[in-house]
Amino acid sequence: MTRLEDWLTWTLSPSISAILVTLIFSLTLPILIHTYLYKRAVAKELPTFLLLGPSGAGKTSLLTLLSNGTPSPTHTSQAPQTATCQLPSTTHSSEDKYRSENDTSSRTQPSIHLLDTPGHGKLRHHAIASLTSPTALKGLLFVVDSAVLSSAAGLTETAEYLYDVLLLLQKRHTQGKTSKGPLAIPVLLVANKQDVFTSLPAGLVKSKLEEELGKVRQTRSKGLLDSGIGMDDDGEADEESNWLGEYGAKGFKFAQMREYGVDVEVVGMSTSAEGEDEGRVHECWSWIGANV
Amino acid sequence: MLDGFEILTTSGIVLWRRHYTPISSSLIDSLVRDVFIEEKQKPGGGENGAPSYKKDRYTLRWTSAKDVGLVFVAVYQSLLHLSWIESLLTAVKGLFIKAYGQELKAAHTLKVNTAQWDPTFDALVNRLDTGSTRRQSDTIDSEGPTELTPPSSSAGDDADEPPPVPAPLFRKPAIPIKRDDLVGDSTSTDATPIPTPDTSRPATPGHAPSHLLTAKGGPGKASRRSRKAQTFNASAPASSGDESSPGHNLKGGAKTAAKGKRRWDVDGMAIEGDDDGVLDYSAPATPGPDSTERELDVAEVNTSQMGSRTGKGQFVLKDLDDEVDAILASSSKPQQRSNATDDTTGSGLLASASSRLTSLFRNVVGGKTLTKADLQLPLQQMQTHLLSKNVAPEAANRLCQAVETDLLDQKTANYTSIESTIRDSMTKALTRMLTPTSSLDLLREVTSITSGQGAPARPYVISIVGVNGVGKSTNLSKIAFFLLQNHFRVLVVAGDTFRSGAVEQLRVHVRNLSALSQREGVGKVELFEKGYGKDAATVARDAVAFATNKGAQPPGGSGQMLYDVVLIDTAGRRHNDSRLMSSLTKFGQLANPDKVFMVGEALVGTDSVAQARNFAKEFVDTKGKLRNNGVGMDGFIISKCDTVGDMVGTLVSMVHATGIPVVFLGVGQHYGDLRGLNVGWAVDKLMK
Repeated sequence: MTRLEDWLTWTLSPSISAILVTLIFSLTLPILIHTYLYKRAVAKELPTFLLLGPSGAGKTSLLTLLSNGTPSPTHTSQAPQTATCQLPSTTHSSEDKYRSENDTSSRTQPSIHLLDTPGHGKLRHHAIASLTSPTALKGLLFVVDSAVLSSAAGLTETAEYLYDVLLLLQKRHTQGKTSKGPLAIPVLLVANKQDVFTSLPAGLVKSKLEEELGKVRQTRSKGLLDSGIGMDDDGEADEESNWLGEYGAKGFKFAQMREYGVDVEVVGMSTSAEGEDEGRVHECWSWIGANV
Repeated sequence: MLDGFEILTTSGIVLWRRHYTPISSSLIDSLVRDVFIEEKQKPGGGENGAPSYKKDRYTLRWTSAKDVGLVFVAVYQSLLHLSWIESLLTAVKGLFIKAYGQELKAAHTLKVNTAQWDPTFDALVNRLDTGSTRRQSDTIDSEGPTELTPPSSSAGDDADEPPPVPAPLFRKPAIPIKRDDLVGDSTSTDATPIPTPDTSRPATPGHAPSHLLTAKGGPGKASRRSRKAQTFNASAPASSGDESSPGHNLKGGAKTAAKGKRRWDVDGMAIEGDDDGVLDYSAPATPGPDSTERELDVAEVNTSQMGSRTGKGQFVLKDLDDEVDAILASSSKPQQRSNATDDTTGSGLLASASSRLTSLFRNVVGGKTLTKADLQLPLQQMQTHLLSKNVAPEAANRLCQAVETDLLDQKTANYTSIESTIRDSMTKALTRMLTPTSSLDLLREVTSITSGQGAPARPYVISIVGVNGVGKSTNLSKIAFFLLQNHFRVLVVAGDTFRSGAVEQLRVHVRNLSALSQREGVGKVELFEKGYGKDAATVARDAVAFATNKGAQPPGGSGQMLYDVVLIDTAGRRHNDSRLMSSLTKFGQLANPDKVFMVGEALVGTDSVAQARNFAKEFVDTKGKLRNNGVGMDGFIISKCDTVGDMVGTLVSMVHATGIPVVFLGVGQHYGDLRGLNVGWAVDKLMK
């Protein structure tokens, strides 16, 4: 008892040691609290790029190519997979725009997360969930099989999936809560399997998909209502919000999506091509670097 | 012999592979798609825990490790029966996870350095390989039709088999010459080719080699007897594990050298007097029971041999021995280990109370590893909940099993209770079951067929089937209304020639629809009927011909088709009335519809499963293959959904029974009451 009283008396007395202790304590405590909170809150999230596309397009193969440098053999994916990788040293990233050309000091390339999702019809909810969840999604790589696009069935399947994805991005933009709107997500259309004999070149892939998307949006607008609408709330059938691109336009062009902040670029490449061209992976990398 | 072995992750990356012969990667792709994703194969017990999947001429056996997300697949020819595959899979799984488990559990690993794995695998195969036994029941595989072909055309099959005994093919014209050779050459006792002299009994590829090893007859008189022996000796008794022992076959040959007594086994097939399956030229309907029965004859796990083979790499073997023995012993023992959940059965009130408190605490906080006992009660509650939503017991059971296998030995997330974990998992399972592999866009398909891309333009034929009174005619007119609004010309065909008033009912519908469409200036609709009593299949065929309007008028004028879409109504029939159901097959073949929709009402209970199955299996084409990639029908229309409120479990039952997706929902009795299926809405209703 007496010890406690003595100690309390000492702390409140104007002795030098008590003042020194108080000073040190009051200076270091806020600093400690600050570092603790800072470390917890600002766990910096790496920019994420989402890989999606119809089944058999080569998304998992592309993932292994981008992260390991060489593609591994793959089969149909059942579950999503994340990989962390760093941009190769030859790629210019968006951080480089403030560097001068002749600056020879070392720079560390930024690292990114690549998220690969299954393409099978029943497992597309993984991709849709990643699109709508609030991760630091910086871009979308939509991988298509250029060879399968020459058949009607393959073209239809690809176009329907692409339509769903683009509509989701459009709705995300138009139905944002704040006036600023969410950050725009650019889309890179990767026309894979260019080494296959029956594959279409990138320009033809783009025009075929645009044509097919026009048809899809035509039939979707005239199609049946979903069972989820009209039974619970009354006819909120807003035609314009379900129409991709420019409302009422004759044909669909990817440029119409620019209004919603969705920039679509098309690149042709091949994951399994060896040799001098390297399958043109560097075009993918430069797009990723530009959008990091 | 093993054709290939692959280790892949659930995200599709192949960590390690070994191909002894070139295998196309589409085999394993289709395994993943059909079994893991679409769940077309019932998971119920494969032999000793390594289920099998057959495609083309291969059998694939696999095992999976859920915690690290790996699948191990072994590929071999269907003709062989390798009894050591299960032990190989178990051993590989154990060793691989031991060697690389840490690396795999670390996040985001795409590649594992598997350089040291190759010699381990070789040693393992050498140790476990007990040789292969040729399966006698190879006729049950898809090679059934080849039995009908004479031996000269089955050259291709022989090339597939690994040749322990070389099996040259015999051409029929050479038979007389060969026979003479046989008769004349009595000195050599080696295996010589023996032809099948009887043209009505073609040799199946699997039996060609067995002919090699029969004993040769003496010269002269005995030749006829020996010839008979050789013919009848085609099927050596099924239990021979060793084809290359002439003595064994000699015994078999001698047994039937006299006029063979015909013996019959339980399948109604002759044993021993005949080639297997030669008398039975029908395509097998259910290969399951047959094959397992045959396998029982063949299976002999020669445990004595497992240790005797020491290949090269003995150094690695010594290390492997203990591990492999341990792994195999622990896996082959039945689940005798008591569930360690009752460790806390201490005596007294305090111990039980504290254990209950800790479990409650763990339930709230999360981080609990789920065991079978933990999951049992909540899963039962979930099953009762599903049953209360009018889901068939079979479907509810399967869903709960899927959730259980998914959640067993997993840890619950932070601050989630077991119930909410189970709810999440059940929602995912339901979504996966109800989501179609490819969604139906009816307007796209009709437009592409009627505008003729790649094929001459023809009308699009849709037919509606179902049991009595589910709403076929009503939903057919709703579909007609929908198509009319999209400017198509529709022909409604009264294929119900049995029920009184069916044709008049459709006439009224067509009258209403044409009045509606004239008012709005869209489309055109007509009725095609041939009265009562006629055969529905011929009415349908005539209707399609009428709509196509081929050759009726010269081209370049109105030689085009008269109607874009043909909608065929059929009579309602009970699914257990086999006479009526068989007439559906003929209907399907004559009318050749592009889409067959079955209407099921949302009010029906457990009967929906049987209905769906019986209707689906009737739609076979002329070759005996079910249409639409082997499922039979193209979609379900669930009618009367407005009457059931939340209890939409029929959706789940019908999809579970057949794997066919639900395309439309009928939500009322007016023409506009047709909706597409929104999977999220349906799952919400079921889980509410």
